[in-house]
Formats: sequence, C-alpha cells, structure tokens
Amino acid sequence: MTGRERVLAALSRQETSRVPIGEIGGGYTDSIVQAILGNTYETGGDASFQNHLRIRQKLGADIVGARVTGPANELLGTHDDWGTPLFRDFWGATYTQPPDATVQLVEPIADTPVTLDQWQAPLVHNFDNSLLKRWKMETDLFVMATLNAGFDLGYELLGFERFMMWTIQAPDVMQGYYEKLIQTNLELALMSAKAGVDAVLIADDLAFNTGPFVDPVYLRQDYFPLLKNMITAIKKTGLPVFFHSDGDLRSLIPDLINCGIDVLQSCDPNANMDIPSLKREYGNDLVFMGNMDVDLLANGSVEEVQGTTRNLIREARTGGGFILSTSNVVASYCKPENVKAMYAVAHEELL
Amino acid sequence: MIKTNQSIQQAVIQGNVGSITKIVKHLLEQRHTAQQILDDQLLPGMEVVGERFKRNEMFLPQILMSAQAMQTAIDILKPILIQNADSSSRKTIIIGTVKGDMHDIGKNLVRIMLVGAGFEVIDLGVNVPAQHFLDATAEHQAAVVCLSALLSSTMNNMREVVQLFRSSGQLNNTRIMIGGASVSQQFSQSIGADAYAPSAPLAVELVRSFYNL
Repeated sequence: MTGRERVLAALSRQETSRVPIGEIGGGYTDSIVQAILGNTYETGGDASFQNHLRIRQKLGADIVGARVTGPANELLGTHDDWGTPLFRDFWGATYTQPPDATVQLVEPIADTPVTLDQWQAPLVHNFDNSLLKRWKMETDLFVMATLNAGFDLGYELLGFERFMMWTIQAPDVMQGYYEKLIQTNLELALMSAKAGVDAVLIADDLAFNTGPFVDPVYLRQDYFPLLKNMITAIKKTGLPVFFHSDGDLRSLIPDLINCGIDVLQSCDPNANMDIPSLKREYGNDLVFMGNMDVDLLANGSVEEVQGTTRNLIREARTGGGFILSTSNVVASYCKPENVKAMYAVAHEELL
Repeated sequence: MIKTNQSIQQAVIQGNVGSITKIVKHLLEQRHTAQQILDDQLLPGMEVVGERFKRNEMFLPQILMSAQAMQTAIDILKPILIQNADSSSRKTIIIGTVKGDMHDIGKNLVRIMLVGAGFEVIDLGVNVPAQHFLDATAEHQAAVVCLSALLSSTMNNMREVVQLFRSSGQLNNTRIMIGGASVSQQFSQSIGADAYAPSAPLAVELVRSFYNL
C-alpha cells in the first residue's frame, strides 16, 4: 500500500495495516533533516527535493506538503537593530530574522485602515506549481498543497495587535481584506489542483491554547462565510480540504464543519484537543490529524515518545479517520531520536 | 470613593476610547482625585475585563480596546499621580521575550493586562539578551521581571536570565515570572524562577501577589 493509498483510506474511514503518518507543510526543518540523514544529506543543486524525499523514505512518512512558489523574498539593503538584513515578501510586508531567532514583522502592508483598504493583493497567475507536479509524478506520497486563507495570513501581514484592533475599529475594511487574501489563496489552490495534488491544506491559526483569538460570533458573521466560499470552490475540483489551526478550536469545530473542511490538523493535546475525544464527538464529520506534542519530541525521552505514540494510535485508529503527525511540524528543537521513535512506533503497530 | 457612576468603568470595559478622555477630565473637574479615579473606577473596570477574558466572554480585540481606553485615561492621570506622594508606590515591571525568540503575542497580552492593572510596565521587546533584563531592572528599580518564550528551543534562555539575576548580588531577590506556550510550572521550578503564569489574567494575579496587593 502506498502512502497516498494509506491516507486516502483514512479519509474514507477505512482501517489500514498501520495508521498513515506524515507532516503538513515542509514537515521537517533543515537541521532535523540533516541530523536524521547524516552523511546522506545532499548539498547539490537538487538537494532540497532529494533530502525531503529521503527523510520521508527513511522515516516511512506517507505525506509531503509543498506550495506553489512565487518570487523569492527581496533583500532591501537595510538592516534592523540587530544588524540583520531586512527582506520583503511578495505580499509586501517587511521582516527580519536575526541569527538564531524566529522571523519578526518589521513593516506591515498597511498602517491605517485607509491604506489597507487601498492595498492590492499581488498577482499570482504566473506563480510556479512545478514543485507540486514533481512530488506527484516522482513519488507515491500523498501530496498536499499548502496555502493560507484570510485570518492567519491577515495578521501576519498587518501585525497581530493592529489586526485585532481593526476587527472592531474597521470591520468593513477587514472584511474587504479577507476577501482579497482569500481570493488570492483560492487562485493558488486552483493552480495546485492543476498540478494534480491529492489535497489542499489551508493553514489558518484561529486560536490560543485557551480558545479563539476573537469572538466566534464575529467569525461567523465576517469571516467564515468567505472561508466557506473558498473551501466550496476548492472542493469543486474534487480535492479534500485539510485545515490547520493551532489552539483550542472546540467552540469553532461545528463552524469549520459547516465551512466544508474534511480534515482538522494540529489537535494539540496542550490545547484541549485530544483526538480520541474529538473523534468520539465529531468523527462522523471530520478526519483528524496530529496530536503528537512537539514539546514532547523536544524535551521527552524516547520511552515517553514511544509510550505516547502507542497510546494515541491505540485510542484513535479504530474506524480509520485518523492520520498521525505532530501537532505542528517537526521543529528544529525536536530531538532526532524522538522523531525517529515516533515514526518507528507508527510502523510497528499492526492491526 | 467615587459614588455610583459606572460610566468610566463601563468605558474601560467597553473599550470606549472616544469618550474616556472627556469622562476623566469631567471627574477631575468634579474634584475627584487621580488616585480615586484610578483605584475606584479604572482598575475595577480592568478587573472585570480580565475576568471576562478568562471566561471567554471577552476576546483579544475587546481586551486591546479596553487596554487602549485604560492607557488613554492613565496618560491623563499620570502627571497628577507623579506629583502625588502616593504615586511613589507605583510598581514597575520589566517584561520581554527572551533571546532567540521573536514571538510577542503572549508577552504583549500580559503587558496590556499589567498596564490595565495599574502597573508601570517597561517592555524590552523581543529577542532580549539576559543582560538587558538585568540592566533594565536596575535602571527602573523594578522588583518583578516577566520572561516570555514560545519555543522549546528558546525557553532554556530563561534559565540564563534567572541565573544572571541570582548571581547578581543586589538584584538576586528580583521576582521572576515566566510564561509561554512551551513552559510549565515544573520548568519554572527547575530553573529557579519564582512563578509560572499559564495565562495573562493569572500573570496579573501573580504579580499582585508579589506586591501583596
């Protein structure tokens, strides 16, 4: 059974000889890829594809995530307070990333609701879907196109506090902003579909570990109808839609089902989102993916990872509808031996 | 005490930035003291906001609006409070995200709630080296330092900050509170921090407890 077939079986609520396993998006940070591949890690011109193929082969992953690619980030020739070069992405926001630190927004795409209202989303019609085609043609992995929608990307481009305030101060402008972002991402989704992918994953963080960032009533009025339109259009291509959001989404799950998602990914156990109980409550409507705590992979022992993985599989696999993954991606700070242990347990579990 | 006049408290709860300046000025004209306005109206208003946030009855945008209303009122009252002898008891908190980590949502939320609770908050931003926490604490004569980290990879930098304070001599009794998605009570104890705050409202309660408020 190929990885693609195994994931498709899970989506059809069929139990397989072992549960499907894999990660969304890029899946594994480069330092993890290097650590796990060791001296088989490549550095040549085709290294990225080959390394990401090899780590999936080595771990026994069933899934690969990739994006339609746009222009590279533009170096601006200026520097931040730490002396790090500033760069701009194709959406128009400026960022920095000091050494050994995470990315930080420096200049948003707009600093007033008026300028946001005038903001134009980038044209994406000439973006490149060949990487997705290649994964589909050259592997038997389940190929998932990764993109965004309007909320998470919305606050990444504006800055979190500004975005949140404007949901109250300028709701009409924000709704127009969501429409632009969603329309652009829908174009990317349709380009992905043309590449022959097996699914689309919408990454759209909506919640803290304690609950939604914003009032669910607001989302129902101003955001979810637009998200639903996007998902409906994607599903017309015949592709299932995976949805990733961190945090405690329990109060939003019925809304997400109504929007038409097929799979909910992340399901962080630290956010009250354990998959066995979610399956009992929503298993007829949704497939669940995730539930392995990234912090456990970072700080736990191999024995703890093995035990947690076994328990999760035992409790979640019945009746299909479950895909094992981390609750985010395999971050650089995860211990390679723990990552290998999680994947090895998934492979030893037989029905 | 200010008699039953909920309008300024309601302005904080509702995040009514537009009306709060007018109300504060009106109360000052009515000879209410700045301290009374702060203690009897503004702080109880933010307490209500914190409680509602804990119960998922208010959400982040509303919290931010309330905090902005609170800040607007404090900006008016601050010059008067500074002149007042009682204001010498105003407590200063240092807050920042530790080195290597650029995440600031949780840190900013705690800052907002602390300002709302009447504390003077010095926000050092993100990617803050340990020495900067120590320097700022000495400069501002702060008694409490709040450290934030989202990532498992950066939470260990909290240990460095705690060790620096503990070996610093005169600042070794500084109360250090940590928070962030990856950290826990157990981790807090393991690095010698004084407290772990699992949420922004609890962070405020813990800081209050440090000051016996």
